[in-house]
Amino acid sequence: MAGVMLEVSSVYKSFSEPVLVDVSLHLNGGEVLGIVGPNGCGKTTLLRIMAGLESPDKGSVRREGKVGIVFQEDRLLPWKTLWENVALGLKYHGIRGEELTKRVRDYSSMVGLTDSDLSLHPRKASGGTRRKAALARALVLEPEILLLDEPFTGLDVKARTSLREALNWIWDEYGLSTVIVSHQLEELLPLADRVYVLTPKPARVAEEIDLRGMDLERRLERVKEALLRILSRSGTG
Amino acid sequence: MTRGGKEASRGHEIAFRAGRILASLFVLAIWISASATGMLPGPVEVVAYLLSMEPEEVAPQVLKTLYNSITGFSLSFLASMVLGLLSHRLPLIKGFSEALSEIFNSTSALVWSLVLVATLGVLSPLPPILVVAAVTLPHVLTATVSALSSADPGLLEAVRSVGAKPSDEFFEVILPSSVPLLASASRVGLGTALRISVVAEAFGSSGGVGYMIIRSYNLADASGVLAWSLVLIALVLGLDQLVLKPLERRARRWLE
Repeated sequence: MAGVMLEVSSVYKSFSEPVLVDVSLHLNGGEVLGIVGPNGCGKTTLLRIMAGLESPDKGSVRREGKVGIVFQEDRLLPWKTLWENVALGLKYHGIRGEELTKRVRDYSSMVGLTDSDLSLHPRKASGGTRRKAALARALVLEPEILLLDEPFTGLDVKARTSLREALNWIWDEYGLSTVIVSHQLEELLPLADRVYVLTPKPARVAEEIDLRGMDLERRLERVKEALLRILSRSGTG
Repeated sequence: MTRGGKEASRGHEIAFRAGRILASLFVLAIWISASATGMLPGPVEVVAYLLSMEPEEVAPQVLKTLYNSITGFSLSFLASMVLGLLSHRLPLIKGFSEALSEIFNSTSALVWSLVLVATLGVLSPLPPILVVAAVTLPHVLTATVSALSSADPGLLEAVRSVGAKPSDEFFEVILPSSVPLLASASRVGLGTALRISVVAEAFGSSGGVGYMIIRSYNLADASGVLAWSLVLIALVLGLDQLVLKPLERRARRWLE
């Protein structure tokens, strides 16, 4: 997939005080883009604006294709099984019968969910299984752009590894253009091709770093340096 | 839980149960004291009266009262669901529902009974049902409107992000989210419905526990009044403890 899949231009957003100021960035086709920044700087708001769940006060967002989003808190309906949760979007788009069953089964197994996982209600499933179900719920609609909000937060090492493997498999197979917002650099940086480093609130893009060709140690070093630089500049570090 | 914590919790439970037994003994003591003045029959006399009643005599009256209460409550529940759903979308209906609740809430069961009996006639089966509907409506409507606005905005956003339409949001998130609150409201509402239906039956009905209470009163049969009152208390408590409370508990687990 070539070309720019998602472009954020000069976005400004305020909730009683400015949260995002003049933020511009883009996501190329087939790329995994990371967004990092200090806690509470506005990363999630930016992701929600990218998804179209929030409108910018100024600026614009251009999307070249369907967007799927996975929220940090899973947000699965507790009264439905994981299967029913994964199938939700398909039902809303009028897809039923064999096509629905096939898609739910295919995308669930793609993220590593078994039939017995899918028969569980969210309260009975582990954190990792719930996160995978939330990912499958977004993937069954076959989006061209995937947005992940803190996908590794709250998961144990085993669940994080398993989710990372599932994501790697999806990217290798489908080259899905993805934006990941995360403060867990050790989890994010091995996956990302590029990162944008945001300043503390109100968030601006402080730096854009191309990570391709760097080993993990170098990636960590470069992003940590950038974060330290912006924190010391803003006086919060 | 630690051992100390478990003991404290057990002590709390024992004290709570003792409080419940004390309340029953307190009511019984008041009754015995009142009967000592000779103005009321005592518990032994009333229980003897109760035991002398034939099941074929009691069952139709209990069923009639249950029918009036459940039908009236169902009407108010249905009206509340429709108004609650529309209030969720239309400010005009929200204002209408609020004002209707206030008016109905300020009107006593006695007034409703008299007006409906005068309008529909003593022999009509409708007044007890409509009185129950009118009296329970404000409580059920208020609970329904608040239950329908209690849905988690995060879940609403999640279903919206996968293409849910407003009707999907209502049936998939808003309605299921409100189940525990609706169950609690139904528990209170049905209890109220039973107590209200006997008032309405006393004024305009040819049957039911309320009718039997007023009939015994008109015949100066004090033991009959108290015996039928005990039937009503048993009915309210039985329905609450054996049916409504377990259902409410089950509904609470729905969202976990």
